[in-house]
Amino acid sequence: MDILELIQSNLLTPIVLFFLFGIIAARIKSDLKIPDAISEFLPIYLLAAIGLHGGIEMRNTGFETMFVPMIVAIGMSLLFTLNHYQILRRLGKFNLFDSYALASTYGAVGAVTFSVGLSFIKNQGVTSEGYLAAILAVLEPVAFILAIFLTNMAVSKQIKNKRKSLGKLEDSQSELDIGISETKSNLKQVLHESITGKAIVILLGSIIIGYVIGENGFESISIVFDELFTGAIVIFLIEMGIIAGQRLDDIKKVGGFLIAFSIIMPTFNGVIGVLVATGLGLSLGGSVMFGLLLASASFIAAPAVLRHAIPQAKPSLYITSALGITFPYNIIVLLPIMFMVSSIVHDAESIDLFNYISQGLI
Amino acid sequence: MKLYNVKLLTVTCEILAQKNVIDILAKHEITGYTSYEVEGNGARGLRGQGLKNEKNVKVEVIMQEEKLQSVVEEIARTLFTNFAIVLYVSDVGVLRTEKFV
Repeated sequence: MDILELIQSNLLTPIVLFFLFGIIAARIKSDLKIPDAISEFLPIYLLAAIGLHGGIEMRNTGFETMFVPMIVAIGMSLLFTLNHYQILRRLGKFNLFDSYALASTYGAVGAVTFSVGLSFIKNQGVTSEGYLAAILAVLEPVAFILAIFLTNMAVSKQIKNKRKSLGKLEDSQSELDIGISETKSNLKQVLHESITGKAIVILLGSIIIGYVIGENGFESISIVFDELFTGAIVIFLIEMGIIAGQRLDDIKKVGGFLIAFSIIMPTFNGVIGVLVATGLGLSLGGSVMFGLLLASASFIAAPAVLRHAIPQAKPSLYITSALGITFPYNIIVLLPIMFMVSSIVHDAESIDLFNYISQGLI
Repeated sequence: MKLYNVKLLTVTCEILAQKNVIDILAKHEITGYTSYEVEGNGARGLRGQGLKNEKNVKVEVIMQEEKLQSVVEEIARTLFTNFAIVLYVSDVGVLRTEKFV
């Protein structure tokens, strides 16, 4: 299938249509709104369903296969976060706090995007590896921890320089020490909050339960966690559409650079993710989901973490770009693109895969 | 019945600043407070719509005047620049002043 055709057919799926519908509803200032309790419940439900499926598949395939992709994903997430920071700080001229906040928002993963991706590949008739759900859980805090650590280090470096210029520097503590000690209390809190946060708890909990119950145990609850899955995403995406629609005016305020960044970066990260995953031997669908993990930006978890850890950063920048630009772009355009890339490299499996990867990296 | 004069501190802030406010109160050995979700409009635009993390809360605390200054000072110093926050103080009367030390 042609890439444009694939994007076109993706546009006409209920998920995307309801998302666009939500945007329109917000633009015409309708009072349409998904009740709070339901929009808080749905992410929990989606994560539970993702976790259960992941756990069940991990029972079939075992744990061992998961470690290499997981370590690679963590490494790439860290690298990409650093890369985002350099681009935002040097080319985008954002201040230190906004740069780190944005860099980690884009280095982190989006659970909602992940659910949409699962439904997308299911629609295309392929499956993905179950352990990707575990990678989703592990990846969630990684980019934030790095960004918070680096922000604290940079801040203490500034303080130290200021002191030096005033000639009051008597302690010989290195920046690193100050950075580490200041980060520790902050990081402990962030780590605790993100690890005990509802997203990771429900995800890990359902992975374990899925692993324990297996296919047989799942049968009795499959009507809720399997058949309702896409329908639940649709309802949630009405709400996401409404929120994104309310923020459309803010997009002008984030500036051209960030708009371009929120489209180019996910594409770059996602395509590299697909190629690397293919090189690691993941399936067609698994490679798409791996790419999506790296392409997606966090907009539900990010504000909760960053408002505490880097309060100086403007939330309007990172929420608006992640939810208003990157999320729609990812689910409408980038998913089909990554699917095409993945199909091409999987078709050409006999050709040297590392050739593709090195081409992608250069 | 005799009413004793104490101060009521009201802080309206974004929900993600609530924890900071309560931590500051705890630091000054104030453990009792009441909070509720609110919405409204202000310098940072309409608040209370959309994502849960973008809602506003109102935190009400009754305390003695002696503590008030240092609490207000710390909230102003640590939270005013980065968060959507408004605070004000009013005089209220209570029956059991020993509850609000």
